[in-house]
Amino acid sequence: MKCEEAQEFITALVDNQVSDEERSLVESHLKDCQRCRFSYEQEQALKREIGAAGARLHAPVELRSKILSDRRIFPDSERSSGTWTERIFPAWPFPRPALALALAVVLILPILYFTRTPSEPISLAALEIQKKIIGGEVSVRKASNPDELRKWQIRAVNGEFAPMEYDLSSMNMLPAGGAGEEINGRKMLVTYYTGKGLSVTCFTFLGTEEDAPKSVTVFFDNAKRITFYTFSKDGFNAVLHRKGNVICILVSKIPMDELLAIVRAQARPS
Amino acid sequence: MKRALTREAFSREAMGYLDHLYRVAVHLVKEPQEAEDLVQEAYVRALGSYEQFSPGSNLKAWLTRILYNFFFDNYHQKRRWVSVEDGAAEKEGSSYWERVPTENPGPESDILLKELSTKISDALRKIPEEFRLPITLVDMGDFSYAEAAEILSCPVGTIRSRLSRGRRLLHDQLNEYVTTEEKKRVKI
Repeated sequence: MKCEEAQEFITALVDNQVSDEERSLVESHLKDCQRCRFSYEQEQALKREIGAAGARLHAPVELRSKILSDRRIFPDSERSSGTWTERIFPAWPFPRPALALALAVVLILPILYFTRTPSEPISLAALEIQKKIIGGEVSVRKASNPDELRKWQIRAVNGEFAPMEYDLSSMNMLPAGGAGEEINGRKMLVTYYTGKGLSVTCFTFLGTEEDAPKSVTVFFDNAKRITFYTFSKDGFNAVLHRKGNVICILVSKIPMDELLAIVRAQARPS
Repeated sequence: MKRALTREAFSREAMGYLDHLYRVAVHLVKEPQEAEDLVQEAYVRALGSYEQFSPGSNLKAWLTRILYNFFFDNYHQKRRWVSVEDGAAEKEGSSYWERVPTENPGPESDILLKELSTKISDALRKIPEEFRLPITLVDMGDFSYAEAAEILSCPVGTIRSRLSRGRRLLHDQLNEYVTTEEKKRVKI
């Protein structure tokens, strides 16, 4: 094989798009030709850099919001349907009186406080709590409306801080309940949003970026000048950011890109 | 045979490819706003004909083909596979790249990565569309040659030759920014 002939096969080899026969021909040429070997290395490096540049390029948050609110794509019927209670408890199998009774019981349940091993970072503990909420192992206080829940949460931490608020109505999710937790002596407020088979939990506590796990991906939003830390565990994705002296972690099974977009769209600089 | 997706499930699944479609769109049109409009309209078209999508087939490729066809029908004044002068090539410092993933990024590495991404974007915009699109689809979109050929309605061999020539054109502009193993050895 001549060098000129080899060029396109080198490209195909870089992309792993060669047949066995072509691979053997081009690899044999590369063994004998230093110039083509260098060309192969250069093309590999270039492909790698282009791929990395692409991976750093993301759709603006505003575009995502525009699409989600475009009625031609997401008609009203998908945006919200059913009564408020149906949206909060989409899969509730019991008749309305039973639901009311269950609500009443939950409302008088005390706040559950958990103590964890001192070595577990608070941010990873949040993922564990999320799992337990979904598994029904942690009781959340359900309130008749989001304002009431918020007031109750602020009282639960003696007014030291307030839960971070999110408007997830464009995704058909509303605050369904909340809880107060204590992890390694630190108070944490939990707000649980649900609807249409999706759920997102917001964890708020006093802290700094030091509370992020060691292995995270860091995203800097240039426009908002806010740094976001993303991490995953056991199928749950989490996005952490700081506002003043408060740390907020949003946890969900929603794909990381979408979750990050939600946080970025609503986060405000300190 | 797989069951058809509901419109809502389809919408949710399609939204998972938003970043990918945006990446392709910014390399098709000149202005960021045009890219956003292109992506939004592609979603409108896709949702309008979602019942034609066969569950289990490649949704990413299907959406990309819709995006490309919409671009071709509405933005493109010339026939397929003709080089066009791209005015955006003169625009230095495109600000598409704002998100920088790294284990422990310092401000310096942030700037370097952003600079490299901008250089790559500018270089891509300077090469003719016929070379730019296969590179965008294969290197950024991770499509196979066969998938890229189907999206662009051209033979697989064309994809290969355009990639080969396109990368050489790109390399001429980016040589100093691309580090090969050979260069690393020289540095040592």
